[in-house]
Amino acid sequence: MSDPAPSASPEHHTHASDDAARSGLSRRSMLAATAGLTVSTSGCIREVRSIVNRDEVEPLSLTISTVPADGDRESIQLARAVGSALESVGVDIAIDMLSHEEFRRAILVNHDFDLYVGPHPGDTTPDFLYELLHSRFAEEAGWQNPFGLTNLALDDRLDAQRVAAGGTGNGDGDDTNENTDREDAITATLESVAREQPFIPICRPTEIRLARSDRFEGWGDGHPATRFGYLGLEPQSEDAAAELRTVNTDARPSQNLNPLSAEYRERNIVVGLLYDPLAVTQWPANGGGAGAEVGVGDGDEESDADTDTPAEPDATPDLTPWLAADWEWTDDETLSVTLRDDCAFHDGTSLTAEDVAFTYEFLADTTRGSRRFSAPAPHYRGHVAAIDDVTEVNETELEFTVATSQPVAERALAVPILPKHIWDERTDQASLRGVTVAEGTTEALVTDNVPPIGSGPYQFEDRTDREHVTLARFDEHFTRRDGVDLPKPTSERLRIQIDPRSTSAIELVESDSADVTLSTLESYVVDDVFEDDEEIPETTVLESPSWSFYHVGFNARKAPFSNPRFRRVVAQLLDKEHLVEEVFHGYAEPIATPVVEEWVPDSLAWNGTDPETPFLGTDGDLDVAAARDAFEEAGLRYDDDGNLRVRH
Amino acid sequence: MLTQVLLQLTVVVTLMVLVSIAVFVGRYRLRDTRLEWRARVRAAAPVTALLAAVLLFNSVARQYGPDVSWMIHWNLTWPIYDVEGEFILWLQSFEAPAITAYFSFIYIYGYVFLLVFPVIAYFALSNTRPLRELLTAYTLNYVLGLGIYVFIVAYGPRNMMPELVDALLYDTYPQYQHLTRQVNRNTNVFPSLHTSLAATVTFLAFRTRAIYPKWFFLATGLGVSVAISTMYLGIHWAIDVAAGIVLAYICVVLAGVLVGRWSVTAWIATLRDSSTSRSTGSGTGTDTKPDADPNPGSSSGSSGSSGSEPNADAGTRDTTPSESEPETGSDPEPERA
Repeated sequence: MSDPAPSASPEHHTHASDDAARSGLSRRSMLAATAGLTVSTSGCIREVRSIVNRDEVEPLSLTISTVPADGDRESIQLARAVGSALESVGVDIAIDMLSHEEFRRAILVNHDFDLYVGPHPGDTTPDFLYELLHSRFAEEAGWQNPFGLTNLALDDRLDAQRVAAGGTGNGDGDDTNENTDREDAITATLESVAREQPFIPICRPTEIRLARSDRFEGWGDGHPATRFGYLGLEPQSEDAAAELRTVNTDARPSQNLNPLSAEYRERNIVVGLLYDPLAVTQWPANGGGAGAEVGVGDGDEESDADTDTPAEPDATPDLTPWLAADWEWTDDETLSVTLRDDCAFHDGTSLTAEDVAFTYEFLADTTRGSRRFSAPAPHYRGHVAAIDDVTEVNETELEFTVATSQPVAERALAVPILPKHIWDERTDQASLRGVTVAEGTTEALVTDNVPPIGSGPYQFEDRTDREHVTLARFDEHFTRRDGVDLPKPTSERLRIQIDPRSTSAIELVESDSADVTLSTLESYVVDDVFEDDEEIPETTVLESPSWSFYHVGFNARKAPFSNPRFRRVVAQLLDKEHLVEEVFHGYAEPIATPVVEEWVPDSLAWNGTDPETPFLGTDGDLDVAAARDAFEEAGLRYDDDGNLRVRH
Repeated sequence: MLTQVLLQLTVVVTLMVLVSIAVFVGRYRLRDTRLEWRARVRAAAPVTALLAAVLLFNSVARQYGPDVSWMIHWNLTWPIYDVEGEFILWLQSFEAPAITAYFSFIYIYGYVFLLVFPVIAYFALSNTRPLRELLTAYTLNYVLGLGIYVFIVAYGPRNMMPELVDALLYDTYPQYQHLTRQVNRNTNVFPSLHTSLAATVTFLAFRTRAIYPKWFFLATGLGVSVAISTMYLGIHWAIDVAAGIVLAYICVVLAGVLVGRWSVTAWIATLRDSSTSRSTGSGTGTDTKPDADPNPGSSSGSSGSSGSEPNADAGTRDTTPSESEPETGSDPEPERA
């Protein structure tokens, strides 16, 4: 069936669908005017009407949103690879480079994009897929279904996964009886997700950081993407005991310290140091990943800091009580939590069960019911959604009523506890004179939250925009009490120096002006870092597995991205293995599914190619003819000039 | 780290300036400068103050400008890339360590020298017009350039094609990142202010080529090198550089038109005249002496005025105290408000 296309194809390109509608209208009115003549002679007005009122099927033109190379060198390269693959199959593309804040605002808040390329923070368990893909979150801001995917079959799988009983992961999907339910449910979800391709998972990078082993010992006992990379370090000199100097390539921590910000929060290391959750996952820096060569230089990988979590390489570490002294399941639906005694926020206010209950309620709706239009926090949404109700029993005891399986509910214990007396004031709609503020924009979501008042091991001291943020040790923190065997803050201060490039950040560490790179190094410098490291005995390279992953996201609210067949063919245009070599210089693993190694089902394990959407070509060279055939097989059509035309 | 880089920059540029003074300015002009510096400073003071104010505002604007730019959100990166294609890649195909070292040196040291030296060289002239034109043109560059930066968001080639365009400067010499990020933001690439300021100096050097013939050649060489360096180092697109040259041309023409149009000293003099006795009149006469342009026509004809400059220098020693209000004299309708 070829496209009849009776009228000459218009040469204009449009980037937005409403443009198309507008141009269609004007074309129609023009035709109607000329048709007036014809009608008077022929009289076949119905046929004319039928011809005139058919809208053109426009050549597909789309925009790929991403961030510039400063700070994330890989995303723009991936975006250009996606762009050139799409161009070769007859799609007109443009790349929209946005600053980090604008990018996240466009993707996560405004949902204003066609395709985007970027990293997802990921998680250590596959439970984040619930908020990432469930259709009930399609309207919300944050990493809550930014794709706008609405698929009831997938919803069912996600719901099933949420209640399926069973413990934590146990390796490679072998049949171990006690875990099968949960594991089967997760496998079913992952297979559905792979089939739908709401986003194309590309790869999971290896996190590389550089640290000074002469200033501190204990690097790599905790994962450096979490607070535990910076707690429990042993200073080797008085200088080191006075200040832990970190360097970050991303300037955002110096600009905003709001744990709920969709635009500014990503890896949450700073939030992890400033705020305490009830429980934490102590993920070892070099254990959990598969295939990552252990890179920590000084041979003290498993020191005594990991008391609570034996770092078995294949198991997700259990939750460790943190702000909670302990918890217990009184029945299948009730989790009873006891707080540590005498904890306080940085401003001296004591932290009680009231703050904890408030936090869970507040994250679910930052208006606290003061408006009909709720404004859930863009972070921790899936966590708190597992909790039906929180009741304060007394000052230090709470009862959580849950409607999910135990592992899913326990994940909810990982949200940062906010002080009620500060955040309760931020429930109003933000206001700006003369501007209509978007509904659901509470002050809590847009405040820069400086100074941040948490209860974490470090407290805010000072900051300068785009230069540094400095934290001071919170001496009253419970980890510093006798008898608490948890990694504690050691250095008196922790300075996060902002330095926009990996090369200059490395130089700071090598010249002893910094102790560790807080952000991961860009992959193009990693080979040099390993070379230098052999020459400089005072530095050590920290190589740790990551749970974040790079992906291409589709806006499934718009045609043709709403069409899973279209998405699947786009996925097949990408040679992930080749991209890993070219863009990540090998410091990443190609993936077919977005979860950490131990949850990957056999059916979706990388086997030299993508098991679900294999690359249409070889060694990075796309077989253009095959790709075009694949699009046509999926029901899309090409015009005589080779442009892909779709109704959008 | 930053102080070290700054110190190094100061030392190197000072050395370059000292050598250049010896080569281009010469003993006689220095001797005159020692005698007349007060008057020259007074003549250049208003525009210097204006430039200082703009630079001060500049540092504030660079802090908040990007926020405003993102609200206006005219993102030109893709259109620029779409139009100019891969010119930068072609330019970088000539990459060699020696060339990289040369252009990195030019981008930092050559550029600062190129901006600083003409201030001194023109200060060494009895005729303060070139100096005032230079400072006015600098001011205009900043004002217009920053104005465009507020409206336009554009990232440079190194941000678009990091794997193809090597960010040569920052990867070869990471320490300079500390310096350049103090003065710029990565969304401010259109137009290239590096190019426009360098081209401004070159254009003015052309005007004064009869006075400083050798400097004209050096300024041209450096100006072209700066323009190429911004592209070779992957910082600017060719379109940014072209826009920078256009901006420089506009600024130089405007400076030619504007300089000498209003005289602050004359304005103060009138104020004094109206309030006090005429005895102060002789004082203002010497104040405005440097305005005693032998080129009264140049305030209207901008680029054509270069021909009159040699006379200006030849008349270096003329100490005619007679013309008390040269600016207003040469202007049909002086604006005094």
